[in-house]
Amino acid sequence: MKLIQVISGACMLAATTILVSAQDQGTNKDVVTIPKAQYQKMLDEHQKLLEEMKEMKAFKARMEESMKKVAPQAETDQALNDLEKEVKVVKQMAKDSFPGTTKMLLTGYGSAGFTAQDHGGGNSFSATFNPIFLWKMSDRLLFEGELEAELEGHDTSLALEMAQISYVMNDYLTLGAGKFLNPMNFFVERQHMAWVNKLPDKPLAVYDGLLSEAVVGAQLRGGVPLGPTKLGYAFYVANAPELQTDSSSVSATDLGTFEFDNFDNVGKHVAVGGRVGFLPIPELEVGYGFQVSSVDPPGGDSVNSLMQSVDLSYVRESSRLKGIVNLKAQWVWSHVDKFAYDPDGAIGGPFSFNNNRDGGYVQLAYRPSRVENAVIKNLEPVFRYDMLNQVHTPSGFDEQRYTIGLNYWLSPSAVIKAAYQFDHQTGPNAERHNAVFLQFATGF
Amino acid sequence: MNSKKGACLTAISLTAMAVIGVALAGCSTTPPTAPAGDSAASTQKKVAAGVAGPQLWAQNCGRCHNIRSPNSYSDAQWDVVLLHMRVRANLTAEEHKQILAFMKSAH
Repeated sequence: MKLIQVISGACMLAATTILVSAQDQGTNKDVVTIPKAQYQKMLDEHQKLLEEMKEMKAFKARMEESMKKVAPQAETDQALNDLEKEVKVVKQMAKDSFPGTTKMLLTGYGSAGFTAQDHGGGNSFSATFNPIFLWKMSDRLLFEGELEAELEGHDTSLALEMAQISYVMNDYLTLGAGKFLNPMNFFVERQHMAWVNKLPDKPLAVYDGLLSEAVVGAQLRGGVPLGPTKLGYAFYVANAPELQTDSSSVSATDLGTFEFDNFDNVGKHVAVGGRVGFLPIPELEVGYGFQVSSVDPPGGDSVNSLMQSVDLSYVRESSRLKGIVNLKAQWVWSHVDKFAYDPDGAIGGPFSFNNNRDGGYVQLAYRPSRVENAVIKNLEPVFRYDMLNQVHTPSGFDEQRYTIGLNYWLSPSAVIKAAYQFDHQTGPNAERHNAVFLQFATGF
Repeated sequence: MNSKKGACLTAISLTAMAVIGVALAGCSTTPPTAPAGDSAASTQKKVAAGVAGPQLWAQNCGRCHNIRSPNSYSDAQWDVVLLHMRVRANLTAEEHKQILAFMKSAH
């Protein structure tokens, strides 16, 4: 009986203890039970936060390191100040070199050549230099000046080829004054430059022949559209040429020719002339030029002269011919009224003659510019026929020439020319000089 | 008498040139820059003319000499060259403007 009572008491004590423990746990508010999956998720997020914190600490360390390398504020300000000063200096230099509203350009051309003539004509090298000064003083005002330095004999000759001021009056009219290339002479005005002329020498009659190369005076010129065509014109007044009549100062063969460089206007005559060019299609230009003047020497009877010129230019790039065809032609006439030369009989006069001369040239060139071969596309064969008729004048000869040439273009304005010329003269003063020409010419 | 004839010829020539000059001076002058407020027609004309710049360059320049690259000169130099060529080659104002614009835009 007592044993049962002891065992029952022990069981009741154990149960009470367990019950009390359970109650204690139920009332401990710091302990929370959560599902295992949620616990694992929280664990993962905690780990992620720890890693991000680690990265931020590293970034902060790097920033602090780089901040240590940045110059102190004072040094930065100094560097900026120095830079600003340099910029100001450079700006001033640029401003000082700015040309302002006027613009100047030095351009021109030059050449070096060799000529060998048979029948006692001799061999010689030559060189020329033609600087051209262009000064654009405003949108309407231009000054053009050209010098020519040339080797002659034992000297270097320096000549003023051109010195002209031009004023653009309106869309179609420009006024010019000074010394300018003769507008009536198409070859001189457009073709005579060494890098433009397709042969090493110049054609008879049109250059150093029947017409002047330059005149001193004033001109009006311009271009006028005529529907799909165009008209170019130039009219001028200038010092008249001086007729060579004085047998004591000129050779007999030069009697009746002109001294075109009549800068002092001996004779005090004025020449009036001009040229009109018509372009029916862009590739073709035909022109007519003239010059009239009195040319009698002081105190003599009235003697008038008339010079005329017709010219043609045809330039076309042909796909069929795979290149550029260039045809140029010009014919000139010079007429002087009858005059009694050598009145004192110093050279067997007095005598007079029909002072009519004419001459000109035809030239054909072809450049295979569309051929793909790099050498062939720069080659340009040229052929020219030129003549001068004056056998009935004291000059005493007619001349005909056939010139065959081959050019090689190094660039659009640099060319090497080679040519052979067959020369034929007739008349009492005839001479004959076939010639070989070589020339290197460049424009710049 | 001859000097009188020469003086008379000079006077006639200068008078004729002055008359021609005055007559042509009355023609309109193309401004260097287009005025504001152009009509659509004039704008179209300008566009068409601009397209013609390369063509005018090839035709007018190629008539006398090989065509130089637009890179041969700077814009300021082309200003000078084209005015010189306008005088020498009798370019109209429109041709001058179109060719100059093309040379400047082509490099």
